[in-house]
Amino acid sequence: MVFRPRMGELERAVMEHLWGAAPAWSSVRDVHAALSGEREIAYTTVMTVLDRLAKKSLVRRRKEGRAHVYAAVSSRGAMTADVMREALAEFGEQDRRTALVAFVGEASEEERAALREALAELENR
Amino acid sequence: MGPTSAAAVLAVLALLLAGPVPAFLSRRTAIRRAPRAATVLWQAVALAAVLSATGATLALSTGTGLGEGRGPVELVVAALALAVTVVVVGRLLLSGHLVGTRLRALRREHRRLVDLLGSPEGDHLVLEDETPVAYCLPGVLHGRVVVTRGAVVRLPEEQLAAVLAHERAHLHARHDLVLEAFTVLHSAFPRVVSSDRALAEVRLLVELLADAAARRQHGAVPLARALVTLADGPRVGAAAVPGRGTGAGVPATADAGLRSRVELLADDRSHRLLAAVLYTAAAVLLVVPTVFVAYPWLATLV
Repeated sequence: MVFRPRMGELERAVMEHLWGAAPAWSSVRDVHAALSGEREIAYTTVMTVLDRLAKKSLVRRRKEGRAHVYAAVSSRGAMTADVMREALAEFGEQDRRTALVAFVGEASEEERAALREALAELENR
Repeated sequence: MGPTSAAAVLAVLALLLAGPVPAFLSRRTAIRRAPRAATVLWQAVALAAVLSATGATLALSTGTGLGEGRGPVELVVAALALAVTVVVVGRLLLSGHLVGTRLRALRREHRRLVDLLGSPEGDHLVLEDETPVAYCLPGVLHGRVVVTRGAVVRLPEEQLAAVLAHERAHLHARHDLVLEAFTVLHSAFPRVVSSDRALAEVRLLVELLADAAARRQHGAVPLARALVTLADGPRVGAAAVPGRGTGAGVPATADAGLRSRVELLADDRSHRLLAAVLYTAAAVLLVVPTVFVAYPWLATLV
């Protein structure tokens, strides 16, 4: 399985910096300085990545003096919670949507009891 | 036999395949014991239904409308039959386009977020969330298996391995394409045909296929335990989802096949005979309408 090409990896590194820096805003220079510790990266690349993230509404941008400064739209935890809510809503829509496939869907109390019973039988064989 | 009687046979077939046959099949829960063959059979039913419906109307329109000395009545019948064919095919194509576009957009968006937020561990992503959940995000080259920290914490190593094997089986076997085809059928003809039964049953069948794959690698017991653990896990945040029932109100869309999944995990007999019967039925279902569609042409050869 191929995991995230370079652009995805950079977006992730940039987001991690912004999450860590919150609530302060970061300039392109700040992000570049933080990222170049671990990798060779051009200043303009950082600018491109921040621009992409802003277009995707994952970071906010505002003008400070002559430069732009950036911040994540919300914390990592809040964004993760949003993603989970979205995923759970998908699993709830079992008859129509197939965008995500859950290991196990929502189960009623009765079904859970039946399930434990079936497991007990399986374990006692 | 003329084209009109071929059209009549095909129309009867189409009606049977649209209603009674799916109803009959979905009650025969024993066929779930051979999930691969049963999935093929369901696909054959769907394909044969579409083939019969379009074949019937096409045969009727060419049979009544073509040739010399046709009166106005024949021409009207031919035009109507042709219009039905166009509507059936058009709805399928449109629904295929809409469903496909929407699914790809949803998955792309979701994948971007899990790639940003999740931590890669082995070949899966872990999301820092307490809700114990495991799922896969299908895609050609871009498939992802996602588990939450809540699931990782609750599942002992061998159970987690079984869950991951289950999800990888979905991705590798492209179960999403089977589901997508039935979703397209269901959204094209939500009421006229029993496409809801077909979709529900096929959903369960692909879970059974993935279960079988996970069981071959890690055994039945770890997988069954993982099912119990994840079905029992508190759905933190689930109540906050708009439109979702809370507390006692279990959504109508609950995972009704859960019991079936664990029962079948305990079943280690082979079902070659059942599978052979189902495959044969699938072949017959596809051959019969094809013969009738081709009949008028075949008749000219004799």
